[in-house]
Amino acid sequence: MRPILLAGHERALTQIRYNADGDLIFSVSKDQIICVWYSHNGERLGTYRGHQGAIWTIDVDPTSTILASGSADNTIRLWDVKTGKCLKTWDFPTAVKRVEFNEDGTKLLGVTEKRMGHLGTIVVLDIKVDVEAEQTDEKALTIVCDESKATVAGWSYLSKYIIAGHEDGSISQYDGKTGDLIYNFPIHELNQPITDLQWSHDRTYFITASKDKTAKLIAAKDLEVLKTYTADTPLNSATITPKKDFVILGGGQAAMEVTTTAARQGKFEARFYHKIFEDEIGRVRGHFGPLNTVAADPTGKGYASGGEDGYVRVHHFDKGYFDFMYEVERERQNKLAAGNA
Amino acid sequence: EDAERISSADVAVVEARRRLLQQWYAWRQSVEEELAEERAALGLPEKPVAELLKEKAAAAAPAGEEQVVE
Repeated sequence: MRPILLAGHERALTQIRYNADGDLIFSVSKDQIICVWYSHNGERLGTYRGHQGAIWTIDVDPTSTILASGSADNTIRLWDVKTGKCLKTWDFPTAVKRVEFNEDGTKLLGVTEKRMGHLGTIVVLDIKVDVEAEQTDEKALTIVCDESKATVAGWSYLSKYIIAGHEDGSISQYDGKTGDLIYNFPIHELNQPITDLQWSHDRTYFITASKDKTAKLIAAKDLEVLKTYTADTPLNSATITPKKDFVILGGGQAAMEVTTTAARQGKFEARFYHKIFEDEIGRVRGHFGPLNTVAADPTGKGYASGGEDGYVRVHHFDKGYFDFMYEVERERQNKLAAGNA
Repeated sequence: EDAERISSADVAVVEARRRLLQQWYAWRQSVEEELAEERAALGLPEKPVAELLKEKAAAAAPAGEEQVVE
């Protein structure tokens, strides 16, 4: 599994996303630039320029037509994927830490930062997936997080719920239409922030990563914790691999937080766990700093990680990865094959 | 005796995994069925992203127009 190193950013990576087809990778960084790359060879297609601060977050609509980004410059921007043109800018009182399109790209949520005089919020914008269309200035919805600010959020299946992860380690389920709070459960250790939230392919369940060194698999409908993956380092990101029942976790202790800064001590590795059995099954080394973001190719072909070191590493899975199976999984597969014969 | 003990521990591990696998796939089946029902009730396609991609491809190559594929 020889990685492709994408060297184009000058500062720490903050988020990576594949498009639905898995052929493009979008990456954002503290260097204020959005990059788009071909996933198969790592060639850079282009950049999107205009933000005036660190970019925290990025998402692309399901048809790869428009791109949304959120930044420390207190804006959400919408971009034409093809031409790189900025189509729309929404201003907020504070930084935007997370953006995510719903399953059909008609709604975009944004998580805004808490700051003196401003509570953290989750805003919803109605979107027209058309580069010619005039986008609305109005917010369709604003959810105010008065208990603990949201750090991450996303849309469930059917855009039925907005799920948020909070700074205090809890998760919330809001009604996707009205924004009413339905549930709030402490899921991770108290006051250990949730750092990432990524969906399964059908958005019926998701994975959270936390500074408490665990990642959890959770059902969107009732927020039941299905699985827990325990690591030995604070986690920044977690993703679910399609095709194989694995999850990938990324994290590591920042240099300033540890006395020794050798890569080994920092634990700068992507960790693979079996999604169902919760066992750690492998690690991938390579970054020189903590992994800030990991993303699985939605077609199942590989994954990418983005580090504090400023690099994106793209991995294409080899045959051994696809062949790897627990005895009981092989047994099940054989049984299913026999049933179909 | 040792070998026996090890093998019975192995059997227990394998049994536990078999159970986890069975539980997971049973849960997935119930979730998938419920989601399919909700989608059908709302008149939405089963695979929303696949449907959107198909629509985009159709819009890019309107019907009647010949597409040359080399």
